[in-house]
Amino acid sequence: GGGAGVWTPRSLSCSTSPGSTVVALVPPASPTPLLLAQLAGELGSFPGILNVISGPASLGPVLASQPAIQKVAFCGALEEGRVLRRSLAGKCVELGLALGMESLLLLTDTADVDSAVEGVVDAAWSDRGPGGLRLLIQESVWDEVMRRLQERMGRLRSGRGLDGAVDMGTRGAAACDLAQRFVHEAQSQGAQVFQAGDVPPERPFYPPTLVFNLPPASPCAQAEVPWPVVVASPFRTAKEALAVANGTPRGGSASVWSERLGQALELGYGLRMGTVWINAHGLRDPSVPTGGCKESGCSWHGGPDGLYEYLRPSGTPTQVSCLSKNMNYDTFGLTVPSTLPAGPEIGPSPAPPYGLFVGGRFQAPGARSSRPIQDSSGNLHGYVAEGGAKDIRGAVEAAHQAAPGWAGQSPGARAGLLWALAAALERRKSTLASRLERQGVELKAAEAEVELSARRLRAWGARAQAQGHTLQVSGLRGPVLRLREPLGVLAVVCPDEWPLLAFVSLLAPALACGNTVVMVPSAACPLLALEVCQDIATLFPAGLANVVTGDQDHLTRCLALHQDVQALWYFGSAQVLFVLFCHIQHLTLPTGSSFSGNSPALLEFLLLRGETP
Amino acid sequence: MSAHNRGTELDLSWISKIQVNQPAVLRRAEQIQARRTVKKEWQAAWLLKAVTFIDLTTLSGDDTPSNIQRLCYKAKYPIREDLLKALNMHDKDITTAAVCVYPARVCDAVKALKAAGCSIPVASVATGFPAGQTHLKTRLEEIRLAVEDGATEIDVVINRSLVLTGQWEALYDEIRQFRKACGEAHLKTILATGELGSLTNVYKASMIAMMAGSDFIKTSTGKETVNATFPVAIVMLRAIRDFFWKTGNKVGFKPAGGIRSAKDSLAWLSLVKEELGDEWLKPELFRIGASTLLSDIERQVSNLYLWSKLTGVFEKGIEKPN
Repeated sequence: GGGAGVWTPRSLSCSTSPGSTVVALVPPASPTPLLLAQLAGELGSFPGILNVISGPASLGPVLASQPAIQKVAFCGALEEGRVLRRSLAGKCVELGLALGMESLLLLTDTADVDSAVEGVVDAAWSDRGPGGLRLLIQESVWDEVMRRLQERMGRLRSGRGLDGAVDMGTRGAAACDLAQRFVHEAQSQGAQVFQAGDVPPERPFYPPTLVFNLPPASPCAQAEVPWPVVVASPFRTAKEALAVANGTPRGGSASVWSERLGQALELGYGLRMGTVWINAHGLRDPSVPTGGCKESGCSWHGGPDGLYEYLRPSGTPTQVSCLSKNMNYDTFGLTVPSTLPAGPEIGPSPAPPYGLFVGGRFQAPGARSSRPIQDSSGNLHGYVAEGGAKDIRGAVEAAHQAAPGWAGQSPGARAGLLWALAAALERRKSTLASRLERQGVELKAAEAEVELSARRLRAWGARAQAQGHTLQVSGLRGPVLRLREPLGVLAVVCPDEWPLLAFVSLLAPALACGNTVVMVPSAACPLLALEVCQDIATLFPAGLANVVTGDQDHLTRCLALHQDVQALWYFGSAQVLFVLFCHIQHLTLPTGSSFSGNSPALLEFLLLRGETP
Repeated sequence: MSAHNRGTELDLSWISKIQVNQPAVLRRAEQIQARRTVKKEWQAAWLLKAVTFIDLTTLSGDDTPSNIQRLCYKAKYPIREDLLKALNMHDKDITTAAVCVYPARVCDAVKALKAAGCSIPVASVATGFPAGQTHLKTRLEEIRLAVEDGATEIDVVINRSLVLTGQWEALYDEIRQFRKACGEAHLKTILATGELGSLTNVYKASMIAMMAGSDFIKTSTGKETVNATFPVAIVMLRAIRDFFWKTGNKVGFKPAGGIRSAKDSLAWLSLVKEELGDEWLKPELFRIGASTLLSDIERQVSNLYLWSKLTGVFEKGIEKPN
């Protein structure tokens, strides 16, 4: 339970069912949520479950910053989502974003063209589709499709929404203006426009519009298509179709039309979209999760995934607000504080400094300097590399190169590698335990820590095997395939405590789910992590796991600002968390302080603080 | 009746790449039924229009001259005179489009219509109706005899085995021969869609039938387990539209079998209007094969009239349906 601010009528039902109370902010043009709230109020025994405020979008950040709110779900435009995210920095509020309303329709030459044209009508020229449509048509059927589309448009009827015999209504004057602007711009950039249909000429009604021959390099080709516009472009091969389809920053929903099963599935798998329909468009069912990829947000509606958005495992400690007024986020982590050289060395000469572990081998850092690590009695334990922005970039690049191969591995192969690492850890038990001892851990506890680390690796290996695609059949006249795909490259900043166990416990789930990692190990003692890297070097493919040591704040900043990291796990000071939220520019970066449940590739909540071995 | 469809040369490329996605067509069928309903005074007008599309049919083993006579009389006066007068439609010459009987009863039908002073055509089923499993020679002879007896429209049945085995040239040739045997009579080709197996086959058979020179394509004989359904109709109407785009010839459409209620008939009219437009809503291009439909329409029109008396809607009379 707990208050939540919700911004769309569609998700009202899924947020109240798990037991939360809801305050919804809706645009003044839609009265339906108000009616819903009135009906909810008549339920009697629990007034205040559903509250609705009608207001402009600028009230969003105000609502979201109210003290009792624990989750905010936002559905709307990209810029407003960004503003909201910034305003929520540092507060212990979970944010779910569902942005953009455009969808995509991919028409191959093996499709049933008439049915695909009906699909276009469903997607763009009806009241069922939320936004405009990008239509990709295979060149060999271009003329046929255009002719049928234009004829079908002529039979569309627009009018007042309550009239049962109309196909589409109106979404208000604002939507009409947006569409008008888009069409004018497209025309000025060289596109042709076709409009038809039985539409009242008054202002809030906008006729169904087809835009074609838009030059691919023009700005309109990248902008979001508003309702009720359809932008049609040709493609020659399936590969080109995927490149064009995945070439925009949005990744909401798409449909593939082909009567050849193999081709349809290949295109479906290749599209980077939250939802892909095959030979249909816009079919929805409450038990099937829908969400987006990339700039379309990172939250899910419907199905078990949608439910988990509003739930938390019992026993989770309540989060503390990490709002800090003293922190200057512009200068946070910008420079590395200088460290004094270590005192005169006493005792046996230490080993040469460790390098960074990037791309499967130890390398010298760009800055060519190292920092001393001290053990629990203050003596020098060893030297580790001083990593910087350049090293982070190199590590992320290495991780990206390894990512496709690793994601393509079968779950069994991934499990095998994790088990091999567990066995290697056990062989190295005495070295690791002695290092832990030097850090002040009791021998027995150190050995237990090593054993637990090996056990964790094995457990995650087993989970990798059990993971897979699930087939769910719902009332949609066809099966639903829920794919869990790896995110890509994960950045992990480990906590200071439990230098070995934390490192392994964070490495294992990321790898088990098919991601590659860039890790910043414990600042107090990164040597344990680097010991494990020696085994990783022999067992894992290059670039799978990369470890960069150095000033933790500086490295965290570099990772947060890196445009190509798909997720960031940060375990550290609460104040830094605030900074992270301010910094992260690309919205789909799911960040977690102790856990991240939003990303489809991660299955578990991990709580390391207070967990006893 | 509109001009004959002369047909074209057989061109298999028109059907070789066609694919029909069944679930999508089913969804479209549901949508049309839900979306385009007609109410109140317009419904009365549409119902009277629907009457003018009916091919009043009797195809039973126990047809005798007396029930044929009754049928023909009903064809001339489908709706009660007093009802038509009240709706101010009594002088608009509302009759059914045709009368449809077995070949042996064609003479009786022609005689009865002449006695009633009615000029509506007599349609005869032929070619081994309903299964079509007889020798080609007898099938052609049946057509010739029916035409001699005075039938001006012939409803032929295609050979389903040719469709199921993919022998498109043979199918084309057969229908071409039926066309020749008809002479000046109009040819309606019954595709028996319930036995064709898939919607793709329905489309292909429709195209072949039109290429061979059919004036109408008809969904079913009315004797199969599955007769005229909306998904099948959508596919056939799309084929008619594609043929019109390719050749400029307009071919008519006739659903038959299973259309019993007035509400159904309105749905069919909406479907044709949606898919092909108002041009096809004429007896020359659209027929409904039905027998009990007429009584249901009459009942519904009378209900509407009673409603109108309560609300005063019809005092001005209704405009002639166009």
